[in-house]
Amino acid sequence: MSKDEAMIDPERHEPAAPRLRPVVRAMIWATVPVLLLVQLLASTGMEASSFWSQISQLDAHMARVAESRAELIAEPLWKMRYDQVTGVLNEIMNDETIAGATVYDDTGAAIARVVARSEDHSIAEISRPVHYSNGNMAVQAGRIVIAYSYAGLYAGAGSRMVRLLVVGLLATFATLIAMRISANIFIGRPLAAMMSAIQRSKQDGRAYPADVKSSNEFGQLARAFNAMQHTTSGALDRLGHMAGHDPLTGLPNRRSLTERLAVASRDGGRPDALVAFCFIDLDDFKGINDTFGHEAGDNFLVHIAERLRGAVEAEDWVARLGGDEFVVIRPEVGHEKAAYAFAQQVLDAISEPIRLHDKQVVPRASIGLAVRRADDPELSHLPTLADIALYHAKSKAPGTVAVLDEALQRDYRHDRDLELAIPAGFAEGQFEVWYQSQVDLESHDVVGLEALIRWRHPEHGVIGPGEFLPLIERSGNNARLTRYVLTDACRALQRLAAAGRPQIRIAINLPPSELADHSLAAELRATCARFDVAASSLELEITEGSLINNIASATETLHRLRRLGATIALDDFGTGYSSLAHLRRFPLDKVKIDKAFISEIPNSAEDKAIVGVIASLAGTLGLTLVAEGIERPGQAAAMREMGVRFGQGYLYQRPQPLDALLEWLEKRPRAESCIVTDSPSIAPEFAA
Amino acid sequence: MTKILRLLLVAGAVCGGLVASACHSLARSLDIVFVNPGKTGEVYWDMVAQTMQAAGRKLDAHVEVLNSERNYRTMQELGFGVLARHDKPDFLILSNEESAAVPIVEAAEAAGVKTLLLSNTLIGEDAVRLGPPRQKLKTWLGDITTDLQTAGARMANALIRTARDEKWQSPDGKIHILGIGGDEITPASIARNAGLKLAVDAAPDVVVDRLLFANWTQSEAENVTANYLSWASRKQIRPAGIWAGNDPMALGAIRAVMAAGLVPGRDIQLVGLNWSEEALREIRAGRLLLTDGGHFLLGGWSIVLLRDYADGCDFAAVSPRVEVKTSAITRQNLGSVGDLIKTRAFDRIDFARFRAKAGRCGHYDFSLDALISSLPVPEGVAD
Repeated sequence: MSKDEAMIDPERHEPAAPRLRPVVRAMIWATVPVLLLVQLLASTGMEASSFWSQISQLDAHMARVAESRAELIAEPLWKMRYDQVTGVLNEIMNDETIAGATVYDDTGAAIARVVARSEDHSIAEISRPVHYSNGNMAVQAGRIVIAYSYAGLYAGAGSRMVRLLVVGLLATFATLIAMRISANIFIGRPLAAMMSAIQRSKQDGRAYPADVKSSNEFGQLARAFNAMQHTTSGALDRLGHMAGHDPLTGLPNRRSLTERLAVASRDGGRPDALVAFCFIDLDDFKGINDTFGHEAGDNFLVHIAERLRGAVEAEDWVARLGGDEFVVIRPEVGHEKAAYAFAQQVLDAISEPIRLHDKQVVPRASIGLAVRRADDPELSHLPTLADIALYHAKSKAPGTVAVLDEALQRDYRHDRDLELAIPAGFAEGQFEVWYQSQVDLESHDVVGLEALIRWRHPEHGVIGPGEFLPLIERSGNNARLTRYVLTDACRALQRLAAAGRPQIRIAINLPPSELADHSLAAELRATCARFDVAASSLELEITEGSLINNIASATETLHRLRRLGATIALDDFGTGYSSLAHLRRFPLDKVKIDKAFISEIPNSAEDKAIVGVIASLAGTLGLTLVAEGIERPGQAAAMREMGVRFGQGYLYQRPQPLDALLEWLEKRPRAESCIVTDSPSIAPEFAA
Repeated sequence: MTKILRLLLVAGAVCGGLVASACHSLARSLDIVFVNPGKTGEVYWDMVAQTMQAAGRKLDAHVEVLNSERNYRTMQELGFGVLARHDKPDFLILSNEESAAVPIVEAAEAAGVKTLLLSNTLIGEDAVRLGPPRQKLKTWLGDITTDLQTAGARMANALIRTARDEKWQSPDGKIHILGIGGDEITPASIARNAGLKLAVDAAPDVVVDRLLFANWTQSEAENVTANYLSWASRKQIRPAGIWAGNDPMALGAIRAVMAAGLVPGRDIQLVGLNWSEEALREIRAGRLLLTDGGHFLLGGWSIVLLRDYADGCDFAAVSPRVEVKTSAITRQNLGSVGDLIKTRAFDRIDFARFRAKAGRCGHYDFSLDALISSLPVPEGVAD
């Protein structure tokens, strides 16, 4: 899954999301304690004030009782009718709040006392004088003291408090329920509707509106949400379209291709119907970009897309996979010939001239065609299969339609098997370095060896580099192979020195990619040091193409290598486009003339003339010449005549493993040291 | 003393016999009804009725006693019943207790029955409204009452005298006396209490600590006396005497005094009123200084007045309001009347001797001395 998908998929974030705390519960938690507290404070306050007012009322009432009783008992008290006094006191004992009453006479003696109960603690007392008067006199006959209890008030206040609390709790509870219900109706429901819409949207990626009818804030929110859903829906559709389509041409892209193939295999009409898959690659689109600019290149692609669309039927399917690659699928064709005709028809449509910047451009394309039955289990491999055919077309016959046949498939599978076997090849030492000698054409002394890679494959036997080097390059193993060869060459130099032939130098082929690798020089130096051999014993062969494609970087690397003492040879000279003069800018020591110029010599006068020119120029530029592919003594003689000093070929020695080579060398006479001194300048340029 | 007594008795018997036959020839028999306000068994009112009937027997008057049993509604119904009779009595004797007799007196005026108020006469509003006897109410002949204020004062003075003699002053130098009244509303009670006040006011060394009211009853008097004694001891007062408005209350006070550890007659003196038998016994025992009274004789005296009136010797010649002085029975004169009261042998009294003398209508001597002299000399005593 891509990073983008992870970002837009909310499910991924849910485990980290905080636990759901419903807003209703949060509101209730926030409100209910406050409500309870207010209820409690209010009821306590009310009850307290009521309680204090009752206390003072009771005090006042008791004062009145004491005064009225004092009036009543004044006469009996003065007239010593203590039984009547007691009677009056007994009457007031009907009042439950009165705990007791005592009447004292003017001597302070208690002459009447009634007690209801004495266990109460909350007792208050009120005392009033008893005044007696008749026509002749007015005296204080004594005192009345009434003890009364607040216990009733306390109990009453307590029970009222409990009632208030219960009522308060009930009210709180009722409020809570009302809050819950109304919150559910006004908040929970609209939120749930929106959540439900979101959940449904998450499930199938479509935008569902929330069903909220109310006109309050949540209704507005829901309407805003629905509007957003609508917008999101459009954006999602556009995103979906963009994910599956090429923005430039509007054609489906590579992503859609997979889906389309799945659809084709599932919904293919008749089981025996054939699916024609055309893999189209524009030839030299890079040239168009370079010549007319990228904008024109884009226009060009749009034109091509339009033509493809115009060339196909409604049921056909056109896609752009990227760059200059297009795909056309016809889901139902009768037979392979019809498929081929269709591919050819597509190719013809592409090939109509196009005007770019007032210039006629004739588009060229190659098509790889693969045809499979709709029920073929390998249907999903159609792009790969068509790509094989396309590869074939581009490599063998650009601008044509190549049909995937058995041979192509076999080659493809062979290459693929080899490519897959590369890591094992390295690990198990299947790669071998063979050596072919370079010989002084005059003295026939061996002056150098070219290291040539071979693959001793356990199944396919020894495989030549022409077959597997492209696979090595394609699988990114160039550097590894180069180091492998370098190490083997250094070891070989060591053995050569041990065998008493230190003057023999070894040449290594450098693939183009290695020229861009700035670490190469350092590694070379380290490897030489490891095997105690001089870098000047090494020669590095490069091709023209690798120089041309990467001038700056290649020049830099070459200078470094030369400073170490290694010599640089230009391999296969003559097959490329460059001239020797052009090559002057590079730090070259040696030029190897491609065997294509040698093979017809001495019979071909033209080839002889070419080689002669090369030799003369090289001489002028101070470059040593090596002729490759010398197989006959006449060739060697011709080369000598034209001033080519060194040669290489089957005439002298076929490539061999080192041991065999050393053996072969043993049988030859030793070279003179003067040959070495006559070799071109190989002075290291450490100081540079 | 005995000689004088005997002389008086002989002279009385002679004169009585003469006057009765010569001066006051009995014109006709009188028919008198007395509506008794008291209860049957209530000593005073029983004795009033008994003396009334004894006098009737002596003076040719038929006295019918109707008991209202202390119910004033009953009393009024009885009175109205008498007035409605076909044969109306000559005289209707009523007692204006609680002013309940007023409607009867007014009804008697309408019925033409002559009335005499005994012991309690008209007071207050009624007195103002109806005026004196024989003015607005022609048939209301008058009233016969006792001078209880004098009695109250006499009782108080007896206490004060004794206390002074015995030097029973309290630490404050004053003689402290307790008064026990019957009630505060009936004229009979008010008069006695006023007598107490009168006597004490005249004696600066005497103070009445309290005038307590015991509802005429012995038990309540005992109760309040006990309370008083307790209070007095707390006040460091030495109680010198107890003045009781009637004998039962005096008897109650005696019990309380004894209960308080005091000896009546030696540590403290008590006085009562009514000449009750129990009081006489206490006097004899030395626990009661005196009992004033004798006013139960108003019953007999009323018959004397009505006999004279019927015979043409109207008491109104002096005043239609006859006030009879009471007398105190002490250990000194206890022997003369003690037996009379004890046996209620009121027939021994020769009521004819108390009638007004010819030409002296309205002049009567109802004193204790006169009574004593009217009694026949008992066997053994006369000698």
